[in-house]
Amino acid sequence: MLFKKLFRLLVVGGAVVGTGSGCAASAQSQQTTEKKADGRDGGADPDGGSASAQGADGGMAADAGGGVTGW
Amino acid sequence: MNDGLRRGAADAWAFRTRVEREAARRFARLAAAISGFDPGSPLPALLRRAAQDEDRHAGLCAELTIAYGQLAPGEAADAPIAPRTLGLRGAVLYEMVAACCITETESVATLATLLAGEAEPRVEKVLREIARDEVVHGRMGWAHLAREAALHDVSFLSAWVPSMLSGTVGDDLFSGAGADPDPEGLLRHGVLPRSRKKEIFLRTLEEVVLPGLEKFAVDTGPARAWLARHQG
Repeated sequence: MLFKKLFRLLVVGGAVVGTGSGCAASAQSQQTTEKKADGRDGGADPDGGSASAQGADGGMAADAGGGVTGW
Repeated sequence: MNDGLRRGAADAWAFRTRVEREAARRFARLAAAISGFDPGSPLPALLRRAAQDEDRHAGLCAELTIAYGQLAPGEAADAPIAPRTLGLRGAVLYEMVAACCITETESVATLATLLAGEAEPRVEKVLREIARDEVVHGRMGWAHLAREAALHDVSFLSAWVPSMLSGTVGDDLFSGAGADPDPEGLLRHGVLPRSRKKEIFLRTLEEVVLPGLEKFAVDTGPARAWLARHQG
């Protein structure tokens, strides 16, 4: 029960927050064309990868990537 | 309260103090980064607010650390975690998923479990205050993922989720290390015993995090394989 509630609260609730404001909702119609360019903004395959220079505020660490420890 | 229990509680609250300080730095950095490529996003404002929350949480955790007889840790470093191969936008998404969709979501489940027990009044007050904010923090990751998924193919995340998971939990969670000597005592002081921690981590992963990623067309096959390896 807790986990179903968490899914609704966090995942479903978060999706509403994210797509309910700004340009994301209206941008849905552009999804198809944008997706074609996803390699530009999205990620590279972990085995291949196109290394790119990145600003200090973007956040990058090592080739493998890491996680965040929590409670 | 015996010395072992006191030390266990102090270690846990000291660890949380550091975790909350790191989160404050991370959220402030991610707020600035998202503002740069998605000015219409609600996330920067939420992240800035979350950074303030985390600083306040760190103060609360530090007070409990001291109350249990340890010195609170000092300032924490900001440690970006995204792989170098990702571009700026992909790196931010990576970090939002790792920090919020996984870690903050797991933290909410942990806090809810702790609050379902009978914690000491002072501990319960801190847990309640932190839990209220962590729900918003977890939601931020899903909000950003939903927003990005509406614009771009986010399936690249699939291959990276095992790295995120490996960095989220210590190997000892799956190592079958011995049971805690006083699990009920730990719960009263706001600490999940090891066996309970593993159970909550796995159920949250299987029933919230992985279905959540699938909702946004992120294949969870690699994450499920990681899980099978660690449970086997």
